[in-house]
Amino acid sequence: MAMLSFEKKYRVRGGTLVGGDLFDFWMGPFYVGFFGVTTAFFSLLGTALILWGASQGPTWNLWQISIAPPDLSYGLRFAPLLEGGLWQLITVCAIGAFVSWALREVEICRKLGMGYHVPAAFGVAIFAYVTLVVIRPVLLGAWGHGFPYGIFSHLDWVSNVGYQYLHFHYNPAHMIAVSFFFATTLALSLHGGLVLSSTNPGKGEVVKTPEHEDTYFRDIIGYSVGTLGIHRLGLFMALAAGLFSALCIVLSGPFWSRGWPEWWGWWLNMPIWSQWPLK
Amino acid sequence: MSQYLNLFTTVQATGPLHDGIALGQGNSPRSGQPFLSYWLGKLGNAQLGPVYLGGLGLASLIFGTLAFNIIGFNMLASVNWDPIQFIRQLFWLALEPPPPAYGLSIPPMNQGGWYLLASAFLLLSVMLWWVRTYRRARQLGMGTHIPWAFAAAIWLFLVLGLFRPLLMGAWSEAVPYGIFPHLDWTAAFSLRYGNLFYNPFHALSIAFLYGSTLLFAMHGATILAVSHFGGEREIEQIVDRGTASERAALFWRWTMGFNATMESIHRWAWWFAVLCPLVGGIGILLTGTVVDNWYLWAVKHGVAPPYPDVFPAVTDPALSTGVKP
Amino acid sequence: MNRLPQWIKRGLQLAGVSGLVLLTGCERPPMESVQHGYRGTGMVQVYNPTQVEKSVEANQVPEAQPPAAAEGPKAGQVYQNVKVLGDLSVGQFARLMTSMTNWVAPGEGCAYCHNPANFAEDSKYTKVVARRMVEMTQFINTNWKSHVADTGVTCYTCHRGQPVPQAVWFKSAEQPLGANFIGDKAGQNSPAASVKLTSLPNDPFTPFLLEAKEIRVNGNTALPSGNRQSIKQAEWTYGLMTHMASSLGVNCTYCHNTQSFAKWEGGPPQRTTAWHGIRMARNLNLDYLEPLTDTFPAHRKGELGDVAKLNCATCHQGAYKPLNGASMLKDYPELGHSAHAAGALTPTEVAKASAAMTPTKQ
Repeated sequence: MAMLSFEKKYRVRGGTLVGGDLFDFWMGPFYVGFFGVTTAFFSLLGTALILWGASQGPTWNLWQISIAPPDLSYGLRFAPLLEGGLWQLITVCAIGAFVSWALREVEICRKLGMGYHVPAAFGVAIFAYVTLVVIRPVLLGAWGHGFPYGIFSHLDWVSNVGYQYLHFHYNPAHMIAVSFFFATTLALSLHGGLVLSSTNPGKGEVVKTPEHEDTYFRDIIGYSVGTLGIHRLGLFMALAAGLFSALCIVLSGPFWSRGWPEWWGWWLNMPIWSQWPLK
Repeated sequence: MSQYLNLFTTVQATGPLHDGIALGQGNSPRSGQPFLSYWLGKLGNAQLGPVYLGGLGLASLIFGTLAFNIIGFNMLASVNWDPIQFIRQLFWLALEPPPPAYGLSIPPMNQGGWYLLASAFLLLSVMLWWVRTYRRARQLGMGTHIPWAFAAAIWLFLVLGLFRPLLMGAWSEAVPYGIFPHLDWTAAFSLRYGNLFYNPFHALSIAFLYGSTLLFAMHGATILAVSHFGGEREIEQIVDRGTASERAALFWRWTMGFNATMESIHRWAWWFAVLCPLVGGIGILLTGTVVDNWYLWAVKHGVAPPYPDVFPAVTDPALSTGVKP
Repeated sequence: MNRLPQWIKRGLQLAGVSGLVLLTGCERPPMESVQHGYRGTGMVQVYNPTQVEKSVEANQVPEAQPPAAAEGPKAGQVYQNVKVLGDLSVGQFARLMTSMTNWVAPGEGCAYCHNPANFAEDSKYTKVVARRMVEMTQFINTNWKSHVADTGVTCYTCHRGQPVPQAVWFKSAEQPLGANFIGDKAGQNSPAASVKLTSLPNDPFTPFLLEAKEIRVNGNTALPSGNRQSIKQAEWTYGLMTHMASSLGVNCTYCHNTQSFAKWEGGPPQRTTAWHGIRMARNLNLDYLEPLTDTFPAHRKGELGDVAKLNCATCHQGAYKPLNGASMLKDYPELGHSAHAAGALTPTEVAKASAAMTPTKQ
């Protein structure tokens, strides 16, 4: 039955948002729910479309398969299937699948009496994806601004869009986002390490306590955020990374058309020091 | 229906300040009088201090401050000692490594000598700090998981600043100290070596970077979602599984078909975070030494996507004869 | 919204205001975007319509003078000391002189180059320079069609009604003070306008548009096979490319698919034109501008005593083609060919002419 030793008592009815008892069951370890059905529909359809698109393309090489968005000339209209229309359909399926997945997570939270933090966090990631393939293209007037669905081709898009602004590292929102990514990874290694160092203290030692954890960090840097705080901090930094990423790309194009280094001119030319030359 | 999300502590219960677990023989007394910060207390623990400052920590801080000052004074000197220009141009200023012509020899002070000295002090400082993290763990009777995670970051730091320049035969390959200049270095590195996106270790490292962010969002959110069952008391939940761990595990099992345990999620976390700099360092080390052009490497291994021709045919004018050179 | 505590409301207001402040440092939609490559590659030019409008205004071509008769005596027979434009009729000659005055010194008039008492005299340095510049213009339009095609250039292309073009460059002086022991800038790490406020090397013109240092940094094999270019050299090339892109008001994808900067096949043809442009700039700086060093007075030279030189911005001034591609040559065909064939004044002759002239304060 694929159930964990303690699972049975938690498998109760209820918590659904839509559909009542109709889809309130499990398949193996997976909870279905109404949104499980819609997820399955969108992801199967989307995957089938990708596979069909690959079959119409030049290769089956996994690294080279690419489904490209339409030409900019189609604007915000529907393009012919093989001229980018497929990309548009796949995008609709993707958004459908992601939102379904998030709503299914909500149903699972309700059934387990948990807070909605996980689907809310996932919502931020969905927002970042929607920013890339919907919000920014709409602001620029064409679906063709979305990124191609291909392992290496999407990286070529990243590279070219970056160089549209000559030196993308100078984008201030990008700098903040990158800092949050690195800080989140640092904090994750510290949190994982700290918990493991308490519960796996080495030969001959007993399992330690949260007081030991706090003491370790206070000894080293003078402050310990604590067991609850680290989870708030980690969630915050991870979501900030995603939100600032979405911000940095929506600014590029709709709200800035020149090179990003040039944006810093406002700082260099502030009235407090603009009367002196930059020597 | 509105929920209390437990994102900020609404009512802060203050108790006696904690002076830290008692340390054994061979340790200094702790420094600083602990105090509470109301605003920190809204997010996490309110207590600041005490801190442990032993010989290793002191030495590390001294060398670190020296390195920081060498970098700072070089930047200040480069704007003619003008403090206003220093602040105005701060993000552009740098301490540069030696020019390529000096190879691995020691150059004059103002042609990279200061850079090498600052780097040596920084290296010493970082190593001493690493030993500090190791000793503090051992003195508290804890595992050394954090020091070994730190070692992965130090690996990347050493690759960038020591191992790769040594293998390439030039200190000039190292990264300049400066905000914008180190970003220029990053872009130039990718330009020089044929587009780093095609370096498979770079791709893996990014997968672990984004994966770590994903994992911390997932784990942080999960614990907060079961915090009303005491989920954040992770050590207790690991040795004596309670309903918090059970619900957290079942959430993920029902969502994606498999789950971690309260302990194993921290192993996923540790490995994802550690593999980012570990694998990234390998990717940097292989660049220029083993592979000179990652795009061409990718073409060779059948990984680079082709694009249909949309432009009229173009050939390299440098290859045609009869063209002005 | 009412149930939110005061401090949260204040915080949100502050965030909103700072967001607006941040955005005032930015531009706003709508933007024009032009695809320049296969769909989905991200090779796109983004134009702000307000900037485009400004560019159109700034790149208006002045009206051509009404055409002059080609019949009648030649300028070389009628006037003295006509070295370059002698084959024009008197009418055409006068017409060109009027146009040149409008293009280069509309405020200063004929006396900017000529001694009003004796128009034939070479006493003013400006006349010697102008003669050489006419030769340079004809040279560009004849020998550098690989870059200027049939659109060609005239004096106006660079000068735009100014005696000195708005975008010229000089070599920079040595780093001042403190540079002996500490604080070396290594020619970069300053917010320089020449490289659009990056901290990249800020004089990419001397090595690449005056000297012929190697711009390419990529090897052509996957594994190392002797490519000795350094990361530092890549920064220098990047500085040059930043200048080129912003001088033309375009981004890197105008010439490159950044999947592989080095690759030519399948790439945009604009890159070939740019390749020739670099060679043209070198040619002109070396053979036309540098030899005029002794002709120019001190106040027209840089802090190292070097003559003003050209780069991409000198002609392009932010437009993908100078004057947005408008050709003035059709109205001034005499600038479109070299009357002197390969002759013209050699650098030595130029030097002699400037030595012979009496120094005049401008």
